Amino acid sequence: MVSVYFGDMHGVIYNPARYFKNTYTDEWIVDDFCKEMIKDVDKSEVIGPRIIDSPVLGGITPRELSGGVKTLICMYKCPDKVFNASACGDNCAKWILEIGKRKDIMINLRHIMDFGSGEFNIKVLNTDQVVNNMEELIPIAGQFVR
Amino acid sequence: MRGSHHIIVSNSTVKYEFDIKRNITIIKGNSATGKTTLVEMINEHYESGDESGVTVSCDKECRVVAGREWKLLLSNINDSIVFIDEDNDFLPSVEFAEAVKCSDNYYVIVTREGLSNLPYSVDEIYGIKSSGKFSSLKQVYHEFYHIYGDNPPIMDSHPETVIVEDSNSGYEFFNGVSEGKDYKVISAKGKSNIFKEIIAHRGEKILVIADGAAFGSEVDRVMKLVSGNNRIILLLPESFEWLVLSSNVFSKKINSDILNHTSEYVESAEFFSWERFFTQYLIDTTKNSYLAYSKHRLNPVYLHDVNRKAILNTIKHISI
Repeated sequence: MVSVYFGDMHGVIYNPARYFKNTYTDEWIVDDFCKEMIKDVDKSEVIGPRIIDSPVLGGITPRELSGGVKTLICMYKCPDKVFNASACGDNCAKWILEIGKRKDIMINLRHIMDFGSGEFNIKVLNTDQVVNNMEELIPIAGQFVR
Repeated sequence: MRGSHHIIVSNSTVKYEFDIKRNITIIKGNSATGKTTLVEMINEHYESGDESGVTVSCDKECRVVAGREWKLLLSNINDSIVFIDEDNDFLPSVEFAEAVKCSDNYYVIVTREGLSNLPYSVDEIYGIKSSGKFSSLKQVYHEFYHIYGDNPPIMDSHPETVIVEDSNSGYEFFNGVSEGKDYKVISAKGKSNIFKEIIAHRGEKILVIADGAAFGSEVDRVMKLVSGNNRIILLLPESFEWLVLSSNVFSKKINSDILNHTSEYVESAEFFSWERFFTQYLIDTTKNSYLAYSKHRLNPVYLHDVNRKAILNTIKHISI
């Protein structure tokens, strides 16, 4: 399940891209689930653990992945940490929900992410409420973030 | 700094081309659209010039500020366009807002957070849209809003409730207009209260009137709240004073070029936002006349029939 704390939070990893750069391993990149996220968000193909084919930038290393996908990989590989998920665009939202189906994760949001028009289970830690769609999420999240 | 500045940033694989028109510009949007790449390229060009392989074309110097020494860096930058990426936790701070406030730099900030201490315009929030391998900036909120460009807001019958951001002259004007009519006008007493006022009046037919020139930090959560609800309409003119200046109340007194090419007249070191500029301009223009304007208390002359109608005529497609 995904638990979200909205607003300023102590102990959060504010800059997930930097954390990724200094902690990722080859194994993270060739993980099938990570490859799927890279393909969907960055439109890039993992050729090997140290080479990725980007349609815009050409051959890149994992360090040149987008901040959003780096954050997703961190959330998936380090579920004991809390990452600033506002480093992710809305095109990462479905993957956060997908990670939440596989692992319990806690994230920090400093804006209202659009989790789409479908149903989901997100626990809002600020109010200790579980919300099931954006209609329920927005009035609660909007009390804590802009 | 004042004016609009055209910027082209390119290397062998990507090219960005856009205009910066105000002191604060926000870039946000989906991941993997090239926001960080843009900031990195500008920094590489600043560090190594053309030897970096990056070309930057702009009539002002483009700089990047990041990290714990941001204040020191910023204190040595003048008359430049400063780019800041989203991974800088000083962005929401009061200290940073203070540094921006009296600065003669323009700032281009990558962030999804609403920066409540900065009065940025809803018109200056952009996403980066890719077109093949070239990229260009587009205004994120234009595709959601009915206010700007080709999609003005439309409300064909009276609202039940009008929520006004202002608590002073703007509120007094719209409250005066509502006299004898069957809708109520509420002052939100500040832009940050509009979200909860909309929730408090949910289900009613609502018209929200706020100063677009400084509503940027609020627009995301408010848009998410009203999106898909055709009973809530957002009207975001630059400011109430802009509405007054745009009306024909003054006809010959106003320099229309100021309204049409505002960026050429607003010095960033003097005015934190265009909203403040329009207020000052209206005060200066009407000083010592029967139309003397005060932000704190509405001069009743603005509610006289002719003036009231002239100001309301600037609001198209909305009946109040």
